[in-house]
Amino acid sequence: MIGLSHYLALSAILFSLGLLGVLVRRSLLVVYMSLELMLNAANLALVAFSRFNQNLDGQVVVFFIITVAAAEVAVGLALIVALFRLRQTTHIEDLNTLNH
Amino acid sequence: MNYGELLKLLAPESILALTLLLVLGADATFLSGRAPGLRRAVAASLTVAGCMGAIYWIFFFPIHGHLFSGVLVVDPLTQVTKQVLLLLTAATALLTLETAFTPHVGEYFGLQLLATLGFLFMVSSEDILTIFVALELASLSLYMLASFAKGNLASAEAGLKYFLYGGLASAFLLFGFSLLYGLTGETLLAKIAAKITTTPRDPLLVVAISMVLTGLGFKIAAVPFQLWAPDVYEGAPTPSAALIASGSKLASFFLLEKMMTIGLSSAVGSGAFHALAAGWVPMLAMLAGLSLIVGNLTALAQTSVKRLLAYSAIAHAGYALLGVIANSSQGFVALLFYVMTYGFTVLGAFGVVAVVERQTGSDRLEAFAGLSRRSPVLAGVLFVCLLSLAGIPPLAGFFGKFYLFAAILRAGAPSLGILWLVILAIALSAVSLFYYLQVLKQAFVREAPLELPFSVKPSTQLVLILLALCVILFGCAPDLLVSKLLLALKAAAPGLVF
Amino acid sequence: MLAWTIYISFLGAGLLLCLSSAHKSAARVIALLSAVGGFIIALAGAWASDGRLQEVIRISWVPSLGLRYYLAADGISLTLVLLTGLAAVTGILFSWNIQHRVREFFAFYLALIGGVYGVFLSFDLFLLFVFYEIAIVPKYFLIAIWGSTRKEYGAMKLALYSFIGSAMVLIGLVAAYVVAGANTFDLLELAKYPFPLGFQLWVFPLVFIGFAILAGLWPFHTWAPTGHVAAPTAASMLLAGVVMKLGAYGALRVAMTLFPLGLLAWQKPLALLATTGIVYGATVALVQKDFKFVIGYSSVSHMGFVLLGLMTLTNIGLSGAVLQMFSHGIIAGLLFAVVGRMVYDRTHTRELAVLEGMDLGRALPFAAVTFTIAGAASMGMPGFSGFVAELQVLIGAWKAFPYYALLGGLGVILGVVYTLRAIRKAFFGEHPAPPEPGHEPPPPITLPERLGSLILLAATVLIGLYPRLLLDLIIPSLNAPWMQHLVNGGRP
Repeated sequence: MIGLSHYLALSAILFSLGLLGVLVRRSLLVVYMSLELMLNAANLALVAFSRFNQNLDGQVVVFFIITVAAAEVAVGLALIVALFRLRQTTHIEDLNTLNH
Repeated sequence: MNYGELLKLLAPESILALTLLLVLGADATFLSGRAPGLRRAVAASLTVAGCMGAIYWIFFFPIHGHLFSGVLVVDPLTQVTKQVLLLLTAATALLTLETAFTPHVGEYFGLQLLATLGFLFMVSSEDILTIFVALELASLSLYMLASFAKGNLASAEAGLKYFLYGGLASAFLLFGFSLLYGLTGETLLAKIAAKITTTPRDPLLVVAISMVLTGLGFKIAAVPFQLWAPDVYEGAPTPSAALIASGSKLASFFLLEKMMTIGLSSAVGSGAFHALAAGWVPMLAMLAGLSLIVGNLTALAQTSVKRLLAYSAIAHAGYALLGVIANSSQGFVALLFYVMTYGFTVLGAFGVVAVVERQTGSDRLEAFAGLSRRSPVLAGVLFVCLLSLAGIPPLAGFFGKFYLFAAILRAGAPSLGILWLVILAIALSAVSLFYYLQVLKQAFVREAPLELPFSVKPSTQLVLILLALCVILFGCAPDLLVSKLLLALKAAAPGLVF
Repeated sequence: MLAWTIYISFLGAGLLLCLSSAHKSAARVIALLSAVGGFIIALAGAWASDGRLQEVIRISWVPSLGLRYYLAADGISLTLVLLTGLAAVTGILFSWNIQHRVREFFAFYLALIGGVYGVFLSFDLFLLFVFYEIAIVPKYFLIAIWGSTRKEYGAMKLALYSFIGSAMVLIGLVAAYVVAGANTFDLLELAKYPFPLGFQLWVFPLVFIGFAILAGLWPFHTWAPTGHVAAPTAASMLLAGVVMKLGAYGALRVAMTLFPLGLLAWQKPLALLATTGIVYGATVALVQKDFKFVIGYSSVSHMGFVLLGLMTLTNIGLSGAVLQMFSHGIIAGLLFAVVGRMVYDRTHTRELAVLEGMDLGRALPFAAVTFTIAGAASMGMPGFSGFVAELQVLIGAWKAFPYYALLGGLGVILGVVYTLRAIRKAFFGEHPAPPEPGHEPPPPITLPERLGSLILLAATVLIGLYPRLLLDLIIPSLNAPWMQHLVNGGRP
């Protein structure tokens, strides 16, 4: 029987994978995907909780999060494109103009 | 559900949204192709008019209520805070006139309004769903504002860094929220708090609190979530940095205070030296202590004034956190007084930096040399603002700090357990005088190689003088604001004794 | 009425800021008028007072925190207000010739004066602290802009020492405010509250030393010589004349009044520090090569007498300490005026070895005579204010701790030696070099300088011959009920 704890474990694993990706990956696009993975880990947890708490609030929240995440995609990709135009790179190491 | 009532309660927000459309529309239609100076002037006037309209509305139609059983809360305290937020945005818009980094005038002012809209909703939200949406509205707008000087690598990089750290923080916040929801089955802060008392203490709760604190700690730039701040302050266009430092700080602190004192009111714990107890207070006390130390000490070594202001902002987040840690109504009022006056002060400082940067092309310390003769007004404003940040009376920063210290100690009285944090804060404020004086030394003592007077727009002068006067006024007569906030807090939460 | 000493100074500063920078003479006149106005008000206040506490103004400021705008004056405050007035007027006379950024100079100067008046008149501790900090910032700019010899270093050192001291004071005040729980900073009300012994044991030294840093308490005195030397003449006069008194006054009015148990526990160690300061300052002054450093270290030594007097906890010792604050303020001001304004501005050197060859006794007879008289007063010659004050302190100390009194006596003797050495080297060098051909004699002493010197000399002689003028103000204040424990050896 698959219970709440399984979902939570999966969600925690996804979140950790995402965090790991953000911390160790060097390509901006992959880092960005990892961020999305973390958001979706939260979504999964919300849906699971909603199911086991017997109320729909969590699922409502998830719909909003998906929408917000879409907006975040738009902004994030735009920022990456803007940087790419100036530096022809999408590598995190190249974010070094500041902090000299 | 009554949509008429919704519209009335959210009239200030609606006014702002309409202004946003107006600014975009005007810039895209009959102003397209005109001189950028004119476009900026029109956009700024519209922005200021919109903010003033919203402020007047709040002033003359004091309607209060809770929508959808508390998802959106409109009470006297939120309304006062919103008025201050709108004032900060109006001042930022006027200061933007000093700069000329972008041809996309309408969008820039529009985004400022959009971010402000996010701030207003942050202040009114008491449900994790609306909190998240409001926070993201503000954050996404700020990411774009930070990277708005598109041709400038520093700005693009600042925006991207802000975005990456911010995205990470949102993910943490959201995961924390999902755990809170899971533990209680509720999304309303007050109901979450009620359920937590009945649920036995859970390690998941500790994880949830830490994750929420991570997310909000990023917004207020508390150590160890401050990494973005110096780069963003330095790289972003100055008005964007000013908005991030003033309005965003105020809204985030208001949100943090509500989150902690309402949503987590049953997991307080204790930060007293001899009696640490698990809860959010000791966690915040640690963040505050770290922010004070790291912010103040790192600021000592800065040569870029914007970076210096960033580290000072980190340190000030540490001071302001004392108000949250107090977990009392006095603490709430002290926090609001501090962050509001901090907003005015830091806007004034950034305004001066914006002018100096435009005229000399640099925000290094040396660029400020001879400022007192190149522009006595700017030098005077800088004098007032930086000394207020350093906590010199009779300026607002001093009273704000004192009020925070008194509030946090009184909340724990008669035990002085939290005194260690106050001692740390006071000792480091003595350190902070050193780096503020470094800037003032350039402005007043050193002489410039070229003593050409600065040309400063009358609107900028006016705004800066008004900001400096506010800082002096609230320092000499703090009761003007304090009594107002106390009354508003009493009216907002009559039976509330935190 | 007394409150106007504060307002008139700040108004003067504000007026100066509105003035165009071209009007140099107007700036000087405005500054002088404000200072004279303040002095006259102080004089009238002292004249009308019988030494007991009189309320000036008391209104609510921030009701929710119990902060009050509460000004009052007793004899001790009035003595120091009077001193501030004297120092302010003469300081302006001695900086009459300043040409560089005149307007700003006098604006900072008057802001400093206003803050100092405020400290001496505040009986709400929060207000006192506010004025105390207001006085810090102008000091920094006065030294950093118009000073000499490593001015930025000296200014920053002074500002940081002051600010660290005030941070210590603030910790103590906030803690006391919360512990008393009476929602007030009123000095008289807090003085009634019996703070627990354990609390007093750490708060008293914190607040006392926080204030005493500014009074030049050894070993926290190191800002004083560098600050004095770096400062322009008028600022040195103010530093030695009134700012150091701020520290001693705060230590007496706040730390000693509020925390009697802590005071008793720390009396001996602090008296030892004070005595060390007396002897140390005098010894170091003895070997200085720079004329101004001699006076700088002598200030540390003389302020040691003030602190020793405070620690005696006897009527005579305490009144001596307050009298010594007044006396040293005047004498040190005069010495700095001679060294900084009359000698340094004319010869552009303060090296005693160089001055020795200049035969200044002949070139600047007025300066020589003034310095000799002031030196005599500083040594504690009978007939000058320093004599009465230091004698009282030593008598008080003899009762409380005889060994320290002996050491203090040694300090007096050393004072005679280093003062005589300075006088001889600076003005009456034994081997004057023959004047070089084409060497211009130094410009003569100007009228404002003469006037300033005469005022200060008159004050020290007047108090020296007739100390009751001030003692009649000081002693009734010491007998006030809330200061009883201070003159009864620490017992309530």
